[in-house]
Amino acid sequence: MIEVDGLQKLYGDFPAVQGVSFTVGPGEVVGLVGPNGAGKTTTLRSIAGIIIPTQGQIRIAGHDLAREPVSAKAALAFIPDEPHLFEYLTVEEHLRFVARLYRVHDAEARIPGVLEELELSGKRTALPGELSRGMKQKLAIACGLLHHPQALLLDEPLTGLDPAGIRRMKRTIVGHAHSGSAVILSSHLLHLIEEICSRVLILRRGRVVAFGTVSDIVADRPELSGRRLEDVFLALVGQEEEPER
Amino acid sequence: MIGVFAYLVWRSGYNRIVRQLRHLRSPRYVAALLLGAGYLWIILFDQRPSPVASRAITGGWIEVVGALALLGAVAWGWVFGVERRVLAFSPAEVTFLFSAPISRRGLIQFKLLRNQLLILFNTLLWTLILSRERFGASPWLRSLSIWILLTTLSFHRLGASFVRTSLSEHGRYGVRHRVVSMAVLGIVCIALLVSLAEALPALEAGRASGALAFLNALSAQAERPLARVVLWPFTTMVRPLSAGTITEWLHAIGPALALLLLHAVWVVRSDSAFEEAAAEASLDRARAAADRRTGPRRGPTVAHRPLPHFLRLRPAGWRAGAIFWKNLIAVFRMRRTRSAVLAVVVAGAVAAVSSMRGQSTLADIAGWLSLTWAGVMLIVGPQWVRNDLRGDLTKLDLLRSYPLRGSSIVQAEVSASTLALTLMQLGLLLVAYLAFLGNDEFRFDLPERTLLLGAAVVYLPLINFAGLLIHNAAAVLYPAWVHLGVGRPGGVEALGQNMLMIIAFTILLGITLVIPVTLGGATVAMLHPWIRNAALIPGTLVLLATLGAEAWLIVNWLGRVFERTDPGSAGLPA
Repeated sequence: MIEVDGLQKLYGDFPAVQGVSFTVGPGEVVGLVGPNGAGKTTTLRSIAGIIIPTQGQIRIAGHDLAREPVSAKAALAFIPDEPHLFEYLTVEEHLRFVARLYRVHDAEARIPGVLEELELSGKRTALPGELSRGMKQKLAIACGLLHHPQALLLDEPLTGLDPAGIRRMKRTIVGHAHSGSAVILSSHLLHLIEEICSRVLILRRGRVVAFGTVSDIVADRPELSGRRLEDVFLALVGQEEEPER
Repeated sequence: MIGVFAYLVWRSGYNRIVRQLRHLRSPRYVAALLLGAGYLWIILFDQRPSPVASRAITGGWIEVVGALALLGAVAWGWVFGVERRVLAFSPAEVTFLFSAPISRRGLIQFKLLRNQLLILFNTLLWTLILSRERFGASPWLRSLSIWILLTTLSFHRLGASFVRTSLSEHGRYGVRHRVVSMAVLGIVCIALLVSLAEALPALEAGRASGALAFLNALSAQAERPLARVVLWPFTTMVRPLSAGTITEWLHAIGPALALLLLHAVWVVRSDSAFEEAAAEASLDRARAAADRRTGPRRGPTVAHRPLPHFLRLRPAGWRAGAIFWKNLIAVFRMRRTRSAVLAVVVAGAVAAVSSMRGQSTLADIAGWLSLTWAGVMLIVGPQWVRNDLRGDLTKLDLLRSYPLRGSSIVQAEVSASTLALTLMQLGLLLVAYLAFLGNDEFRFDLPERTLLLGAAVVYLPLINFAGLLIHNAAAVLYPAWVHLGVGRPGGVEALGQNMLMIIAFTILLGITLVIPVTLGGATVAMLHPWIRNAALIPGTLVLLATLGAEAWLIVNWLGRVFERTDPGSAGLPA
């Protein structure tokens, strides 16, 4: 469960995010969308405990992120758009490293399965410098999923993956949600959001402009009825193009 | 094309300074600026002419000692040089310049131009450091002399890196393309060994008679025909600096400029098809660096082998132990570390055998060199061993997402560097111990030396921890102003700023040690009348406990600062 209440983040006087509140329940996948600079990454990084919000409360699996940061972070995984890996650790050593950090006691048994699932078995002893961009992304994902997080935060997770990898990744995200994780997925790929997310949170200039299922959002705005998420999104963020004649 | 390069260098430098100055909106940075300005004032302006300097000039040692120091620096660059760092272009430079219609010679010119920023800054520093007419004819001429010296050395480093890269990447084809450079290098090495062998007995005799006699012997040996030839390029570089009058300076500057010109030709003429291959290699490396997003400067080479089973990390245990383990793996996977360990083992074995066989000169040299290095590592080691927060702050996002308290992260990061540095120092001390095994004339007898080695095992970890904590504190408090990444700013060009850093570090380490040493010393003084030398034990315990308490307080405080650091506002990569 992820609970965000009144989240605000100021950079100087500039509000990157303000008054953002939402809840993601177990088994739910929420798509976080918005134009560039809308505050998506700031929201995700605040929930991941990377940046400290100026105001607001964040709870992960019942733990207040400000008061119990260690317990809250132990229950979540954040997978950024750019894989951050340690250049001196091999693929398998990355997983062992994460296993110690998150105390994954059955890591020894789980690591081969995770490597197999993400097609990294043949690269167990490779250093990040020897991996392709897509493989690095898979390794970052493997590190995030190893400890079965109750809250999963994904920022553009499909970047660099091949078509087969994309399909597998989508399955993995949905699978984790089905096993009880609360998932937030930030992406500009609206068809991906439409395909796997149960609800959508649309941000614009740091504020929530819509939150709910696509049909809920459309129901509140009859003029958008029958249109796809892409059209709904563009209309809501004020970037709607003139129809072609 | 030079205009475009100048524009890029100038605008990048200007914007970088402006960005760094913006941090002055934070009181923490203002305080650092004021402290730094005060420190620079004391170091650079409020200095008195040193009698040692005038004695060095009149004794003629400055030229010899300077030339030998330069010879050492150049030799070090050839043997241990990190050519990747010298050749490397930043990912953005690779993207824009390598794909632009610019010749390889143009790229080399850009590289030389970019180095000038650092050289000019360090020229200014050295001019100020050597101010108050300590050396040379006038400050302006001194500045020019320093600039020529640093530029020549920078060109040499670049040229040497081309040769080394040629050899490492193209094997015998590299030798063919570099036959002139290789021949010159070979002749210099042989001449150097022969002159050393000739000079050794006289130097040994001088050393036995004291420091002054040793320096005189050194000057005399440097005047021998072969030594003069070997040292000529280095004395040529130093001579304008030591010239006392304008006439002397005018005589000295011609050959120094000629040497600079020779180096420029050597480096710029590297625009052959062969150098194109080297540039391509640089492109590949830079692309890989961009992929890894490890920042613009790259660390030393990684030597990768699977870990033995006992070194595998287990899932249970101290959480931050994962970071400690990761950093240690990083240190020991560096080729440079492996080479250093091998060198220490071989030196230890040779020194021990020589010492036991009564070949005291060789063993003594090895012993004194090791002792000196171990001492130097106490001060410069914390700057060199950087597999801690200085390396990891570029991945602050990742660290902050881990379920760890800030203090645990700081503790684990600093502990890993402490262990690596302490092991290096103990290795050197062990070589010294073995080298003096058969020496009966040494000031301390064998039991005393054994006791001192044991004391080093006890004291060094905490002292190193305190030293590394200072460097890590600087990185956490001033991430926008401190050089981050595993690689450190190196080369003779950056010597001035590195020296200022070392002086500041030494002062801070001294301040950190004041209370523990005072309390430890007082304990020894109080108990000595009753328990004699055994008072050293409680004294040591008090010293270590106080230092440990200090370190604990600093770690907790830094942990809190770390938890509050906002990656974006701190100027760290988001």
